[in-house]
Amino acid sequence: MSVSALVPPLAQGDFFTDRSAGAGNSCVAGDGLCPKWMVDNFDQYTGPLVRHAELTIVAVAIGFVIAFALALIAERRRWLVGPVTQFSAILYTIPTLAAFFLLLPITGRGFVTAQVALVAYTLLILFRGVRTGLDGVPPETVDAARGVGLTEQQLMWQVKLPLALPQIIAALRVASSTTVGLATLAFFAGAGGLGGKIYDDLTFKSNVVLASLLCVLLAVVLEIALVLVQRALTPWTRAVNA
Amino acid sequence: MSAEDARTPGPNPNPDARDGRPAATLELKDLLKHYPGADAPAVDRLSLTVPAGEICVFVGPSGCGKTTAMRMVNRMIDRDGGEILLDGRDVNERDPAELRREIGYVIQQIGLFPHRTIAENIGTVPSLLGWPKRQIADRTAELLELVGLGPEFASRYPVQLSGGQRQRVGVARALAADPPLLLMDEPFGAIDPITRDRLQNEFLRLQTSLGRTIVFVTHDIDEAIKMGDRIAVLRTGGHLAQYATPAELLLDPADDFVERFVGSDRALKRLALGRARDLQLLSFVRVHDNDPSDWVRSQLAAADHPVPFPLVVDADDRPVAWLDEHDLARERVRASDGSEVAIVDEDAVLRDAFSTILQHRVRYAVVVDPRGKALGVLSADRIADVLLPGDEQEATAPVHEETR
Ligand SMILES: Nc1ncnc2c1ncn2[C@@H]1O[C@H](COP(=O)(O)OP(=O)(O)O)[C@@H](O)[C@H]1O
Ligand SMILES: [Mg+2]
Repeated sequence: MSVSALVPPLAQGDFFTDRSAGAGNSCVAGDGLCPKWMVDNFDQYTGPLVRHAELTIVAVAIGFVIAFALALIAERRRWLVGPVTQFSAILYTIPTLAAFFLLLPITGRGFVTAQVALVAYTLLILFRGVRTGLDGVPPETVDAARGVGLTEQQLMWQVKLPLALPQIIAALRVASSTTVGLATLAFFAGAGGLGGKIYDDLTFKSNVVLASLLCVLLAVVLEIALVLVQRALTPWTRAVNA
Repeated sequence: MSAEDARTPGPNPNPDARDGRPAATLELKDLLKHYPGADAPAVDRLSLTVPAGEICVFVGPSGCGKTTAMRMVNRMIDRDGGEILLDGRDVNERDPAELRREIGYVIQQIGLFPHRTIAENIGTVPSLLGWPKRQIADRTAELLELVGLGPEFASRYPVQLSGGQRQRVGVARALAADPPLLLMDEPFGAIDPITRDRLQNEFLRLQTSLGRTIVFVTHDIDEAIKMGDRIAVLRTGGHLAQYATPAELLLDPADDFVERFVGSDRALKRLALGRARDLQLLSFVRVHDNDPSDWVRSQLAAADHPVPFPLVVDADDRPVAWLDEHDLARERVRASDGSEVAIVDEDAVLRDAFSTILQHRVRYAVVVDPRGKALGVLSADRIADVLLPGDEQEATAPVHEETR
């Protein structure tokens, strides 16, 4: 399914803006890379940037809650790991645009449709991350924890999850970076974001570059935030070996 | 608050109490474990009693059911039959987590919490029991010292410690709430032989003052002989082959299996039972640097000393050198003329004393007290006497041995 086939039902307008008349600026008129234009028009991008951040953070947060709950349930019912992984792998392979198209009749245009697709996409990464973390807890640590009298719940929250944190946060980093990228398509579901700006004027380099830079910036900021969280929560990982 | 009798059944009325908490008596009765799908039981009707304050070692070949038997006591494994009584009360009546907080647990793999500091690791059980922070901190500091780690270790993480140091922390964590019973599964098994020996000695010293009831699992008969007040030899299938003191085991193995397991060198192993101070030491002529040689000769001649050489000691009575006839040629004796002294700590087991003597290629070793003061002389012959079959009673009770 090509992008153009989806455009009529999803997005309004087209991918080109005629700037040859107004701008009176040869760089802009020639679709070039114009730093001055970027600075002058920056405020047009802040709204979409904030929207993009919302799309990403909400999707990763919801995806995490679901994946985390499933991973905890699978701790007691090991047989669930296979089916949950397979199901979320199928969700992962559905093309995002196809998902929007399929969801339109159910959830309509807008934020919710975009969220459903983005959340579905994060599940595989996050579920696997939490499971890898929990499965990596040394068995002797678990044995000793039970042996000295921790209840199953204390074992999970005081021992297993803290030890799984590095893997969990690593998965959150991957999920948030990929979601920043995927959220550029949310515009096709009518959910806005920086994708809206990019597809507004695909031929104008200044526009495409500025919108893309903001995507990268958002991804980097989220990445740094998560690294800082990890550093604060897992001091033992930085202790120097004897 | 802790005057409860060791044999009083029922829960401790004050679970926070730790000072002088009495050791527990452990009784296993017809204990049975049959893993699903296994042909035969892993533990088959095992019955034995561990008196309060004693170390009971479960020893036997790999796979004979030692770990299974031990882990049924703190309900890490569900038993399939029989009874386990802790101070007369069946452990199955207790909530497993609550029971385990009352039973120290040390395993070979140690299992420290990698994300917690050493202090937090040691304080695990006290904080589970809800002790006030202050009391936990005090107890943690006390335990660090008890297991020979400096206060600087408190804030470190397990990854920053050596294997031996980690196992010390494992022991400290198990002792934190002063449990009436301690379960130790090959606790020193993964540690290099020199450190293991040191940890064993330290632990035995600790136990002298703590007097806990301990179940200690090992597959190493030498460790069993060294650590155990009583030894339960298990054979495959968790059958109890013999339950006896180390000396009984070495002198009178119940059957061929035990005899083979104990080893053909069991006579030599008896050397690990006695200590240098248990033997009647030989007296010797004590001289000082610069004493007149004639006087030394007259001393040697006057007393009928079993050791034909004078020993030079310093002002604090610490051994310096042996002298022989040749060294008495000068008018006054000089310690620097003499030969090196083999020195044995009074606490050393006879096996170590014997090996010190052999290493020095001499016949005599000087036994010293902890300050290094010479107490008497031990001869290789004296130790060899312990090994003679006719002297078996002597070996079990070397304290009563007389000089001949
Ligand atoms: N969880 C288990 N499931 C099935 N069989 C087991 C299990 N644990 C131990 N066994 C079997 O029970 C026997 C005793 O094992 P174990 O108590 O670990 O012996 P030991 O500690 O003396 O080496 C062995 O044959 C072992 O294979
Ligand atoms: Mg074992």
